[in-house]
Amino acid sequence: MDLHDLTAAYALDALDPDEAEAYERHLSQCEECREQLAELNESATALAFGTVAPAPPPRLRASILDTAAAERSNVVPLLRRPWVARGLGVAAAAAACVIVGFAVALSQSSRTRVVTVVLGPDRTATLHITGLSSAPSGKTYEAWVIPAGRRARPAGLFSGGGGTTVRLHGTVPRNAVVAVTVERTGGASAPTTTPLFSARA
Amino acid sequence: MDRQLAHLSDEALVALAARSEQSALAELYDRYGRTAYGLALRVVRDKTLAEDAVQDAFLTIWRTASRFVPERGKASTWILTLVHRRAVDTVRREQRRRAESLDQAAEPSVEGVEEDAWLRLQRERVQAALRRLPDTQREALELAYYGGFSQTELAERLGQPLGTIKSRMFTGLSRLREQLGEPGTEKSWTSTT
Ligand SMILES: [Zn+2]
Repeated sequence: MDLHDLTAAYALDALDPDEAEAYERHLSQCEECREQLAELNESATALAFGTVAPAPPPRLRASILDTAAAERSNVVPLLRRPWVARGLGVAAAAAACVIVGFAVALSQSSRTRVVTVVLGPDRTATLHITGLSSAPSGKTYEAWVIPAGRRARPAGLFSGGGGTTVRLHGTVPRNAVVAVTVERTGGASAPTTTPLFSARA
Repeated sequence: MDRQLAHLSDEALVALAARSEQSALAELYDRYGRTAYGLALRVVRDKTLAEDAVQDAFLTIWRTASRFVPERGKASTWILTLVHRRAVDTVRREQRRRAESLDQAAEPSVEGVEEDAWLRLQRERVQAALRRLPDTQREALELAYYGGFSQTELAERLGQPLGTIKSRMFTGLSRLREQLGEPGTEKSWTSTT
């Protein structure tokens, strides 16, 4: 059995359990199959939208949320604190925000762009951006972490275009600012333009 | 419902769910619950079993959200893959299914179903793309994905070598991808700019 051949069947959930297990083991060692699977999974999932979808009974939503709540009832209650988001540049605007447990979700919503910073308990952070057009030719977006009173540290390059998720390099200290600028391809060692977006963590 | 979350990306919602934010789970359900239920119902063809499959899948999302890796694929793909897997597991446990003929997996009627306008457009788009595939490829995809048949079962029932079934599934999925254009663009950025 050539395991490379099982990618489509795996994406369609058309493998028997022992085949699926063998394929998953193979997947952990085969970059080619991982890449192909990511593509075929998207196509297979498109089929989920290809069938008529009657509304589920309202009790289903309630049942899921109640069960979920019961499972986490032993978790520390949500910590809600006032949140300050400050724009560094003219383009930055006041932000709507959610503070959840140890996590922080910060949103800056304009008509076309949504930026969310999700900060983990270990102070690592992920930037989620939708509606950001692709960086112009010869340019890149660059994320920055600016610890209070210190110089900006490069935290990752990305090209934008549709939905973007960027795992920021390193950690985000308390009171640091997370910002995004447009830079020359290859990135800069310090911001050279006004941030498109910035927020204090 | 927490409308504050309505403008967040699916991936951001999963990250919040990983941190026990229930309203993020609710928002994900509001976005994908209906598609999930329609899919599960198509596969298991029983309302109670379909509800169970959807509930199991969303609780799996809740429990394992912290393990979701955005770099490996979209959150919506992850969610619907979990739902599909649950539904397929359910239908394979049901022995009666084994005795049924293949055409039982056919598309259910839309008559009497009040469809969401956006979902109806999506359905028509996917169905049109499926119709443009050669019959043998469309059949392999539909029987596997909606019927829950394994590749081995399909080879037996269609009287084809396993290799033929594999290549029909692979070519069918690849062509579907071309037909539907770049995945991931349909919802989020046609409306922007
Ligand atoms: Zn491989």
